Amino acid sequence: MPLETPLLRVVAVGSVDDGKSTLIGRLLHDTGHLTRDQIEAVEEASRRRGRKGVDLALLTDGLRAEREQGITIDAAYRSFEADGRRILLADAPGHVQYTRNMVTAAAGSDVAILLVDAANGIMPQTRRHLALCALLGLREIIACVNKIDLVGYDEARFREIEAGLGEVAAGVGCRHLTVVPISALEGANVVERAKTMPWYAGPTVLELLHDLDPPIAEDALRMPVQWVVRHDEGGADVRGLAGRIESGMVAVGDEVVALPSGVSSRVARIDVLGEDRAVASAPLSVALHLEDDVDVARGDVIVAADAVPALADRVEATVAWLDEQPLVPGARLELRQGTRSVPVIVEALEARLELDTLEHEPADALEANDIGLIALHAAAPIVAEAYVANRALGGVILVDPGTNRTVGVVMLGGAAVPAA
Amino acid sequence: MTTLTELSTLDVLEAEAVHVIRECAAECERPVLLFSGGKDSIVLTHLAVKAFAPAGLPFPLMHVDTGHNFDEVVAYRDAMVARLDERLIVASVEDSIAQGRVQDETGPRASRNRLQTTTLLDAIAEHRFTACFGGARRDEERSRAKERFFSHRDAFGQWEPRNQRAEPWSLYNARLKPGEHLRVFPLSNWTEIDVWAYIEREGLELPSIYFAHEREVFERDGMLLAAHPAVERYPHEQLFTETVRFRTVGDATCTGAIRSTAATVREVLVETRASDVSERGASRADDRTSEAAMEDRKRNGYF
Repeated sequence: MPLETPLLRVVAVGSVDDGKSTLIGRLLHDTGHLTRDQIEAVEEASRRRGRKGVDLALLTDGLRAEREQGITIDAAYRSFEADGRRILLADAPGHVQYTRNMVTAAAGSDVAILLVDAANGIMPQTRRHLALCALLGLREIIACVNKIDLVGYDEARFREIEAGLGEVAAGVGCRHLTVVPISALEGANVVERAKTMPWYAGPTVLELLHDLDPPIAEDALRMPVQWVVRHDEGGADVRGLAGRIESGMVAVGDEVVALPSGVSSRVARIDVLGEDRAVASAPLSVALHLEDDVDVARGDVIVAADAVPALADRVEATVAWLDEQPLVPGARLELRQGTRSVPVIVEALEARLELDTLEHEPADALEANDIGLIALHAAAPIVAEAYVANRALGGVILVDPGTNRTVGVVMLGGAAVPAA
Repeated sequence: MTTLTELSTLDVLEAEAVHVIRECAAECERPVLLFSGGKDSIVLTHLAVKAFAPAGLPFPLMHVDTGHNFDEVVAYRDAMVARLDERLIVASVEDSIAQGRVQDETGPRASRNRLQTTTLLDAIAEHRFTACFGGARRDEERSRAKERFFSHRDAFGQWEPRNQRAEPWSLYNARLKPGEHLRVFPLSNWTEIDVWAYIEREGLELPSIYFAHEREVFERDGMLLAAHPAVERYPHEQLFTETVRFRTVGDATCTGAIRSTAATVREVLVETRASDVSERGASRADDRTSEAAMEDRKRNGYF
């Protein structure tokens, strides 16, 4: 059985000014994770900017440019505990021009907290972020209707936004949505239950984070080989295949296959950082020893023999384009899957995904922050595993070998794009 | 079938750090581990050893020595390197001063904190290092909370926080142009408590100054600074003896001690959990200059 991990990765998303940074500041403050000197520093910074009261957003907006403009440019990561559960929280930027940083923060998260301003309602960026969360396979969305104090704690207004969010969520294929009325400024329904909204009997944000089902390691074994640890043991050259189990589990005696070569062997030993174990699961870093002396090196991936994914040199994929230089068909890039890098050519740009309408539209190029459907031709076969089936190998990046920039966040398999 | 043991937060953080260390060692031509003698770099070294055991480390350690270290820390460093049988490079700020690369500051407020950036960048160039492992954590400071695991530095050693490389699904891009390098932070998601809990779990030894001891100190800006040959005092700054320990270990000129009777790792853990002052707030004078002090230093090549 896959094991629960105690660490929950959460990303806060939503349109600019909807209060993401304030909510995170509030969560840290009300769970007792801020120290006296940190609170004093924020009070001082708030005064210097002429703000009334304490601007908790200044806690996470850590860059000079962010505090000057009062916006979030790149994600900040903060840790806190909710009754014994560790939560790693990424505060993602809301601006359209920083969508790429939002995608980076959301990829790999288990849960998203989506902020919506009660006065403004559902903004274009709210829709886009919800669509991106669905695309990235986040299993749970906690939507916070924030600044409820500014609309007089009006239940009708909340219900209206709640219904609207439900429609958008259904449209993008997001199944698990919980909507909570909050005031991050006042701390209402964040950690403390609000007295101002007697009509709301549901959970607070902290209760939701605490009670969410733990992330489950996808069940098929996938372990990209990072490094071969070699040493001499009584004249024998012993080789440990070091890597992190990205999904599933492995036990001594299991039959495994190394890709792309396809050679198979059985697991003789599992070394978990100096301790021999009979079995190990994601996300542990281990060194596997195989019964046979097979040729396996960095870049290969060890998979369960009863769940071997296909290899292919032509794949369909959904890409979130990050670079200022647009993506055009014919681009020569490097694809990074697990620990392996393979040259690829973008054979076709099949469509651009219009996030506002969820329509696939024809396009000649993808600009920064665009989402598109592309066809890739790889110089050597890669593991053609769909992102929806397994994130460990289905999620890859594209690097421009000329500029060295990471230019694309990619989900293999065309099915990852929600149908319009 | 054998059952799995339940994983703790420390297990997950340890696995993540080891993954990052192995990635950097495999992708970068000439990595180096920056070792300060502080608890974070001690944990980092321990993780690196575990990542490649039973083989040795595939990269050396480097200490940027300001010449203003606590003696206990230098003694610890030398004993640890001897025990591990690994290679240590010492990059000396005193040498940088002697070569005229930097000017030593004078007076009671003199610090070599700023100077060590030049020494570090010179050492990176001299040894052609392409990646430096550091023990920095995102919980230490606001601008650190924004940093990636693999953090790119241009040929001038500068960090460009507005244009960082995406790192989805633990996929790191370590490609570099000549003269550029990476700073790699395997402990990014650890907190101060995690570090102490891990030290306890792994039974790691630390320099003695981390635990309560009697020391001659004086008070400045609400902090207790140790009497040290490198620290000049104003006439009104009187020495007195106090039972203290250090929460962070840096230069004697800018690292404050805290009043404490915690003499064991367990006692430090209890005290840290109850503390209402942050690690850097309690003990680092270098971050008190302005609210963006760390970001500004990092942009210029600081650790």
